[in-house]
Amino acid sequence: MNIGENILLAFASLKSNKMRALLTMLGIIIGISSVIMITTLGNALQGSVTSTFEDFGTNLIELYIAYKDDSTSRPVDEKDLISDEMIDALKEQYGENILSISTSLDVGKGKIKVGRNDVKLSISGTNEGFCESNAIEVSEGRFITEKDIKGGKNVIVIADKAVSKLFPKGTDPIGQELKIKTDSGTLAMTVVGVYKSKVSKMMSAMMMSDSETTNAYIPISTAQRFMDSDNGYKFFDFKAAKGLDYKKFAEEAASFMNEKFYKDNPYFQVKFYCFEQQLDSFMQILSIVKLVITIIAGISLLVGGIGVMNIMLVSVTERTREIGVRKALGATNGAIRMQFIVESIIICLIGGVIGILLGLLLGNIGALIIGSPAAPSISGIITAVTFSLAIGVFFGYYPANKAAKLDPIEALRYE
Amino acid sequence: MEGKTIIEMQGIIKAFYIGTPNQLEILHGINLSVKEGEFVSIVGASGSGKSTLMNIIGVLDRPTAGNYILDGIQISSVGDKKLSEIRNKKIGFVFQNFNLISRTSAIKNIELPMLYAGIPKQKRTKRAKELLELVEMSDRASHMPNELSGGQKQRVAIARAMANDPAIILADEPTGALDSYTGRLVMDIFHRLNKEQGKTIVLITHNNELAAETDRIITMKDGMTYENPATKREAGQ
Repeated sequence: MNIGENILLAFASLKSNKMRALLTMLGIIIGISSVIMITTLGNALQGSVTSTFEDFGTNLIELYIAYKDDSTSRPVDEKDLISDEMIDALKEQYGENILSISTSLDVGKGKIKVGRNDVKLSISGTNEGFCESNAIEVSEGRFITEKDIKGGKNVIVIADKAVSKLFPKGTDPIGQELKIKTDSGTLAMTVVGVYKSKVSKMMSAMMMSDSETTNAYIPISTAQRFMDSDNGYKFFDFKAAKGLDYKKFAEEAASFMNEKFYKDNPYFQVKFYCFEQQLDSFMQILSIVKLVITIIAGISLLVGGIGVMNIMLVSVTERTREIGVRKALGATNGAIRMQFIVESIIICLIGGVIGILLGLLLGNIGALIIGSPAAPSISGIITAVTFSLAIGVFFGYYPANKAAKLDPIEALRYE
Repeated sequence: MEGKTIIEMQGIIKAFYIGTPNQLEILHGINLSVKEGEFVSIVGASGSGKSTLMNIIGVLDRPTAGNYILDGIQISSVGDKKLSEIRNKKIGFVFQNFNLISRTSAIKNIELPMLYAGIPKQKRTKRAKELLELVEMSDRASHMPNELSGGQKQRVAIARAMANDPAIILADEPTGALDSYTGRLVMDIFHRLNKEQGKTIVLITHNNELAAETDRIITMKDGMTYENPATKREAGQ
């Protein structure tokens, strides 16, 4: 009795009891599909995060002020803020190791009335270095310049997405005047530049931000004046020169600031935030999540396997008489065992294939929602197939062996 | 006609142990000899040991003691795998309740013993078609067992028993579940196989009329065999 005949026999047997076969497969389907979905989604997320961080650059470092002691809650004073002088001193100290420095101040949401609709903007005051640090690509006009900042000019850089909503087609946005309503009053700004909106879909999905709202940038000095805020920053970003140990460099920069400017400040100190470190810890979390879900999927596969074993035992009992007849006709114990193992393998393999397809489908839908290209893992699929095969053999062996060892006389007498 | 001996049994004892020291002896030393081409019937009341003897003849079971030689093979000395092969090649079973494999077409049922014998597909199909013709069931080849009448099922079962051209056909109450008309048809097939193909047939039956048609009647009673000398003389002629 060859394998081909056994496979045909297994299919015939499954076909005669479709519902039962499907229910039996369910555990395997759920297990395999969740593994495939998670690996597909995980790979997509990983790819998306990596590319986002690569856009910003892993050499991005942020320095910010924080309480020395968590229990104090004294409000921030102008003296506590990081001043331009401090930044200049840092630049001087490290020279070429610091590529660009960006400072920013959140102005808040703004609305522009166009006909009956509002175009929403999220406005930040920035310096000239912000453009490079945040990988902003200017497509028309220019970004905020040093001159804008010194002069505290009322100029704005908006997203191309906003342009299409604000102006009729064909209008040159550069030089247009905008009246923006914000919580702190109305801003009148002249458009000097347009950038390509490249808001990472993953970021927007993760932050659940309104995709209608685009970022707009004005000179930081203008923002400070408008917000009536202090001269100084709670945080600033800079890019470290390539090839440095970014974390170590960030640590060094922070301690330089602390030594020089915050030694006598009883409440505040400078802390650092390194994007590279962030990427590492993100990846670590992701791999832990993947591992946990894989373990859960493994458990569901185990349960599925036990279900297969259960059904195979039922099937053996139901077909006791058939087994007796087959033995009387000359089937060896090995042939009977093989017949049932093949049936179990077929159940698991069909379940595995359905699981893979379902997992890929769900993974792709998930990736679509996250907004990064789905990356099905070939190794995951191969593992899934191998695993379902192994489950078939492992959980099919006991029932098959039970069938093989049936006494033909007893089996023939079975009612 | 002095052919070679197919079944040779000497002092066959079958006992079941139902916990020591109790022992239930079903067969008390059977001596039986069947020659090639003979049509033998075994009759007896239920509980007389007919089925146990049939199981031993069909090598589904091993005797507790005694010597059994089937077509030149000493049964007590062969392993389980070899027993499967003997059942496959030397014996054709026909059961009272047909025992066709359900959800498997008539022709596939007939192919089954050949499948276990490892005969290639083309040869199997060819032989199965011949056998279907032999039992006049060619037009039902692809029918499922539940689409066949009792008599038709039994004819398919006989064709299946013939698949590997066995040394003996062992029929256990083959007409027991059939009405007298279809039972007659089935018996006619057995007679034809015996006459035309020289098949050795061992028929186990309750029915004395059917037994009377055979060459030799062996009566079983309380685990022993008795032969009617009259029928034996007849067979010897």
